[in-house]
Amino acid sequence: MGRISGGRREDARLVTGRGQFVADLRLPGIVEAAFVRSDVAHGSLRAVRLDVARRVTGVLGAWSADDLPEVPVVPPPPNLRTARPWPALATDRVRYVGQPLAIVVGRDRYTAEDGRDAAQVDIEPLPVLLDPTVAADSDVHLFSGLSNVAAEHEFGRPVTARGAVVVEAAYRQNLVAHTSLEARAILVRPEAGGGLTVWCSHQAPHRLRDDLASVFGLAERDVRVIVPDAGGAFGGKSATFPEYLAVAAVARMHDRPVRWIEDRAEALAGGPRGRGQNQRVRMTADPDGHILTLELELDADVGGYPHTGSFMPFASAMVGTGAYAIAQVYVRARAILTTTAPTAPYRGAGRPEAAYCIERTVDTLARRLGLDPAEVRRRNHIPPHAFPYDSPTGFTYDSGDYTATMDVALKAVDYDGWRAEQARGERRIGIGICTYVERSGAGEEYGAVEACPDGTFVALSGCCSTGQGHETSFPQVVASVLGVDPALVSLVERDTAAVPRGVGSFASRSMQIGGAALHRAATRLVAEATERMAEHCGEPATYRSGRLSSGDRSLSLAELVAATGPLKVEDVFNPPQAFPFGAYVAVVEVDPLLGTVDILRLVAVDDYGVVVHPAIVDGQTAGSVTQGLGQALYERVTYDEQGRPTALSLLDYLVPTVAESPRWTFAETATANPNTPLGAKGAGEAGCIGVPPAIANAIADALSTEDVGDLPFTPEVVWRAAR
Amino acid sequence: MKPAPFDYVAPRTAEEAVGLLAAAGGDAQVLAGGQSLMLELNFRTRRPSVLVDINRVAGFSLLDVADETVRVGPLVRHRRFESPVVDGPLGLLLARVARHIAHPPIRARGTMLGSLAYAHPAAEWPAVAVTLDAELDLLGLDGLRTVSAGDFFTGPFTTLRPPTELLVEARLPLLPPDAQVAIVEHRRTKASFAEVAVVAVVTVHDGLVSTARLGLINAADRPLRAYAAERFLIGRPVAGFTFADAGQVAALEDAEPIGRPHASVEYQRQAVAVLVQRALEEAAC
Repeated sequence: MGRISGGRREDARLVTGRGQFVADLRLPGIVEAAFVRSDVAHGSLRAVRLDVARRVTGVLGAWSADDLPEVPVVPPPPNLRTARPWPALATDRVRYVGQPLAIVVGRDRYTAEDGRDAAQVDIEPLPVLLDPTVAADSDVHLFSGLSNVAAEHEFGRPVTARGAVVVEAAYRQNLVAHTSLEARAILVRPEAGGGLTVWCSHQAPHRLRDDLASVFGLAERDVRVIVPDAGGAFGGKSATFPEYLAVAAVARMHDRPVRWIEDRAEALAGGPRGRGQNQRVRMTADPDGHILTLELELDADVGGYPHTGSFMPFASAMVGTGAYAIAQVYVRARAILTTTAPTAPYRGAGRPEAAYCIERTVDTLARRLGLDPAEVRRRNHIPPHAFPYDSPTGFTYDSGDYTATMDVALKAVDYDGWRAEQARGERRIGIGICTYVERSGAGEEYGAVEACPDGTFVALSGCCSTGQGHETSFPQVVASVLGVDPALVSLVERDTAAVPRGVGSFASRSMQIGGAALHRAATRLVAEATERMAEHCGEPATYRSGRLSSGDRSLSLAELVAATGPLKVEDVFNPPQAFPFGAYVAVVEVDPLLGTVDILRLVAVDDYGVVVHPAIVDGQTAGSVTQGLGQALYERVTYDEQGRPTALSLLDYLVPTVAESPRWTFAETATANPNTPLGAKGAGEAGCIGVPPAIANAIADALSTEDVGDLPFTPEVVWRAAR
Repeated sequence: MKPAPFDYVAPRTAEEAVGLLAAAGGDAQVLAGGQSLMLELNFRTRRPSVLVDINRVAGFSLLDVADETVRVGPLVRHRRFESPVVDGPLGLLLARVARHIAHPPIRARGTMLGSLAYAHPAAEWPAVAVTLDAELDLLGLDGLRTVSAGDFFTGPFTTLRPPTELLVEARLPLLPPDAQVAIVEHRRTKASFAEVAVVAVVTVHDGLVSTARLGLINAADRPLRAYAAERFLIGRPVAGFTFADAGQVAALEDAEPIGRPHASVEYQRQAVAVLVQRALEEAAC
């Protein structure tokens, strides 16, 4: 697979305002929805009165749970057994601020909001639970008779040894909001005959189709889900949310297309959020810094209803040992209900939490021993000859050379030069390292390639771009295998009527699995075409650059198809998970009086396996690094004592922009994924994983302290650590 | 995030505008640059019955210098101040301040008088007006009255202006030619509000501070003059320890911080101390 550069096909459309997002769609008779939401974090729902709302000019209808013949319930995600149903509209209890209580439909969004404001809600407050560890032991139960611990698992084995050096620490992973440019969005049109056509900004259209079909008792073929242009997702758009069910239910009852566009205030108040984990760690090592044991307790707050975020603490546990060979490991991880909005995977999805915990702790170990933190990592990295490596938590790491990658990063940042500058003592400079291992891609994906009689090719994929550039990169994979001009290959995805099956785009799986499925389909298309040509001509055939030769005859693929019939090859590929890795180094200067952190240099060296489109991958690194900076320095969902979010706009919930981007350097090593023909690993989340621990370690280094406080490192947190 | 229904009127004269405000009986909002008002309308935290758009009022873009003051009309956008509007330290100070206001698109639409009338505790212009002892003209049905900036700001988003009056002019007195000026701002991102900011105007004779004006931004529920720190400075030598001590005085005696989610009262006092010191160092160098 050659590396291909050049711009993205979709960019001309997207950067000139010609993208078509859910909010841009025009259909006859479309009406807009707004939600009446709980402003109480936990309480008994006494009444939702909508009679005034229904009389507001322009309001076409308003429904609470009492007005629905049957209240749809969010289908639990696969592998999560839970008796804690999440209703489309609250019935008798509310469990987070922002929970939908009623849906109001108006002729436009203005009137829908007028109706929303006219709703009268009576909720009797109950005690709130904002901390997962507290919630686990509380007498206040979110679901009567059921524990607040929604799931609990252990990994590894109880630790029996103990090194001479013991490091114990506790960290808090801040709750952060996904903050995709486009928040959630859905448009549902009821079809004659009872079916639904759904346009949704979503990461997994086939799953949404299946969920809607099962909730409304429809055949899967009667639900069509289309994902138009989408403005980012980051893990927050993979679920079947209660709002979607309410919109679909009302569209069916009202028999009109109903659209809901989540605005920023809704997204920040009660939309999905990520991270949120209390971590306790005990690491022991010998006096030379060889890590002997690791014990972790991970308590994740998963919000008022356990959903896709419930898997995050276990994802963290599985990569809890990071890049290190540790003999004895024990992890207890819990997903715990709190009276906050339900969590979802957020870019990195469990790995950033894990990397932060182990990388901060390794740095503290180095500080205790007076050793260079790079040297301590070197002594503990899983060595290259140990792959495939079975981790104590149950993963098999496929490949890697962690020290080599770290050395590339140290050289790129001029580690020795910065250590010398630091030693001069004129500035409060700190250098922070993170070496990480992550996990990308899981499950199967569908890919198909068809050679058309007009000389073009169609690639079909079950993946679902929410901005990642599949229209560019997937055709390039196919064109590369076929040896044809990529411009001849078009991509079809994001439409369940056009693509028979699919899983979607999350967990950095698109190129790793979806791209590999297309690679396999294209490879088999070449083989089938060659076979057909041989049959057609009666003697052996060869294939080269879109043409088949047999004896003295030569046909293009188009001519072969015209002569022998349609040629389409489908593939479903289910490779093992991959384990990308990398090293990040941050150099910061701290102003101890104000607590501000100036990032002087940031080097990211990632090993994504084989890179197909370098510009797209660099864009993924830049985006994930920036979001990593967000978690490290700016972002935290804050609540008041009543559990009400205190930041409802981006004036209060701060995210970094290009203006906050430091001077960064991206580099790669490329250890091919041994489990796919393409060799690609996931490449979407590394910056979120590598940046926060690198920044935290750099601040700790600048201040010569073990305890730098909790994420995010706001000026006040750093000022307190500097005192 | 769509506004509740409202009526819209666009008067052509100041008198017509004031008549419309009066007719609405206090239930009107004035639209100038709209950079804060539109946000509040969309959040429905303000629900006026009528929006009085003053953008077509003749003469409201006035900006001139007369009688040792800079006169600013209601439609003068922040951007106009990015280059000095008058020679000397006042023009320099206003230019430095303007570059700290939000970001360029907001500076192209937002107005100085709109910012004064809105009275956001983290806004720059209110503190500048207080620091400079600006005079503000309010026009109502009963005519024109003048209030000093020091009296104008009464709390967060509240001023002496009743909703039936229109802020029609701000007058900023020129600074003496030997005044030295600075603004130092501490913010979390390039586009965020100031955590704390300080405006400093000092004159120095024979190595001693002879006059000092210090304005504190976002160190209370309203813009503040750091009077105690100003008194402390008079007659003291221009030196790092003087400025550090003045910072402590401002932090402990002048600032009245309100705790915020990411900045406690204690931290804000620390930031005031540091920023006062740095503003004085910058002004005096």
